[in-house]
Amino acid sequence: MDTRTAITELIHRSGLIMDRCDFKGYLDLCAPEYQYRITTYSPEIRKDMTWLEHDKAGMKSLFDNLHRHNSDKSPISRHINVCLVDIDDAAEEAEVTSTIQVFRTTLDGGETELFAVGKLYDKVAFGQGGPALRSRNVRLDTRLLGYGYHIPF
Amino acid sequence: MSRNAVEWKQTPSFPESHYVDTRIYTEEDIFLDEQRKIFNKCWIIACHESEIPNAYDYRTFSHPGGPPLIVIRGEDMQVRTFYNICPHRGNTLLYEPVGNAKRITCIFHAWSFNATGDCIDISRGKEGYQDRFGCKDAGLREVKTELGFGGFVWVNVDDDSCTLKEYIGEAMGMLDEHLNEPLEVFHYHKAIVNTNYKLWHDTNSEFYHDYMHYFNRITGMIQPGYFDRKYTGYPNGHASVGSMAIKYDAYEGSKARGVGWPGLAPGGWVLIDIFPGMTYNLRTSVLRMDTAIPLGPNKLLIEFRGLGLKRDTPEERAERIRDHNMIWGPFGRNLHEDLLGVHGQGLAMRERTDSKWVIHGREENMTIHDEGGMRHFYAEWSRRMGRKAYDPYGEQAAVAK
Ligand code: FES
Ligand SMILES: [Fe+2]
Repeated sequence: MDTRTAITELIHRSGLIMDRCDFKGYLDLCAPEYQYRITTYSPEIRKDMTWLEHDKAGMKSLFDNLHRHNSDKSPISRHINVCLVDIDDAAEEAEVTSTIQVFRTTLDGGETELFAVGKLYDKVAFGQGGPALRSRNVRLDTRLLGYGYHIPF
Repeated sequence: MSRNAVEWKQTPSFPESHYVDTRIYTEEDIFLDEQRKIFNKCWIIACHESEIPNAYDYRTFSHPGGPPLIVIRGEDMQVRTFYNICPHRGNTLLYEPVGNAKRITCIFHAWSFNATGDCIDISRGKEGYQDRFGCKDAGLREVKTELGFGGFVWVNVDDDSCTLKEYIGEAMGMLDEHLNEPLEVFHYHKAIVNTNYKLWHDTNSEFYHDYMHYFNRITGMIQPGYFDRKYTGYPNGHASVGSMAIKYDAYEGSKARGVGWPGLAPGGWVLIDIFPGMTYNLRTSVLRMDTAIPLGPNKLLIEFRGLGLKRDTPEERAERIRDHNMIWGPFGRNLHEDLLGVHGQGLAMRERTDSKWVIHGREENMTIHDEGGMRHFYAEWSRRMGRKAYDPYGEQAAVAK
């Protein structure tokens, strides 16, 4: 598989794996230096905001603690479309820009609603052992998220 | 033992102050009454001064009593508030939530207004109105505005209201010394939930629901000092909750909070509920402000703000933001739980579900699991509404007669 295809597949896989709540599988896609963020811009206060920020260990404890919390159990579905893959061969790193739509489906009746839209800005290391996620910035357009959600997008 | 239909509706065997009839959460006529008698009479937070730092900066706000508002800083740096309604044909004057407008010009027929609410131009005014009507007749409706208690911009649409200071009274005593420095909003988001605004304010007025929050059980409830925290009620329906030292590192993946807050003991947490729907929540390193804006009896918009100190270094600010996000914000551990709670109440108590009573009966010497905070709120609610929260339609009173 060529690098571009492998990277594109990694990004799509990260969404599918999270949809299944396979958190271990997700962390296996991440490099040790992984940094995850959810950010957005608030026109109301004219400021960039960070809504969630974790390194790999932080993501792991978030996942490990999930079962101790009271959470909305409606599954979500991340629809990711990889748009741009900028490969830096010398650095063995790629910058990937994707669009993401997150849909939420109710448990009772299975009604699906659009939950959020935004973009993914990912850094992917490639080289020995195949590509791995170095960082992800989920840049949300949607800021009205109702009662919210416990699992990162 | 389970109960039958009659038993389900039987008046709870508590004093009348210790339960409410759930119709106060569902009935349209009660909601309209609340807009008139509560929201249009009380001081309400519209925004924070840091959101409009410069002359002519404005911020729009949907007042819970109904009127859409413009909060704007004048050339003299004074903050004033006006209806966001054009006096001509009722158009919205400013569409964006925030901006800078030296001159407010309505897009419809180009009438213009300044930041002190004067009409300064009516397009082809003389031709159309001759001497019958002019700028002097077309000023904006001004709304009483005061800044205070942490730099928030408070508005009151009642021209005859008391001052903000009188309204708050001693209620902010526990925070006074912690709010002397200029603050800055770093987090803002809204949530719309199908629930009644009072249920949200109730959640901010009782700590018994820490059972819902794993984070609070582990960092608070099982730690020393938790059951010593006390509620204090103040005139006008406000209430405060005393502090303790939260053990943030008891939650795996969380750590003791590094940046503190001026004058607040390490790990401290002070909460003050302001009637009818605002909450100051100073948790060690972050001040959170909730503003409840009801959109209907079973529809609530909440504005959430997170604030730090204006003088924060980038590192300090980043830490406050991390502390905030851990539990608050749309992906926070606690906020989602709190919102799920009131969402569930909205589901169970919406019109015609045959819900009947909500019980506020816990008495623990006004310590943390006492439900006195809510009782205090409903006493004020009943006073302002001229209705008893336990008997909003006077049916019990009629039967007693
Ligand atoms: S409605 Fe505003 S100028 Fe006519
Ligand atoms: Fe809570």
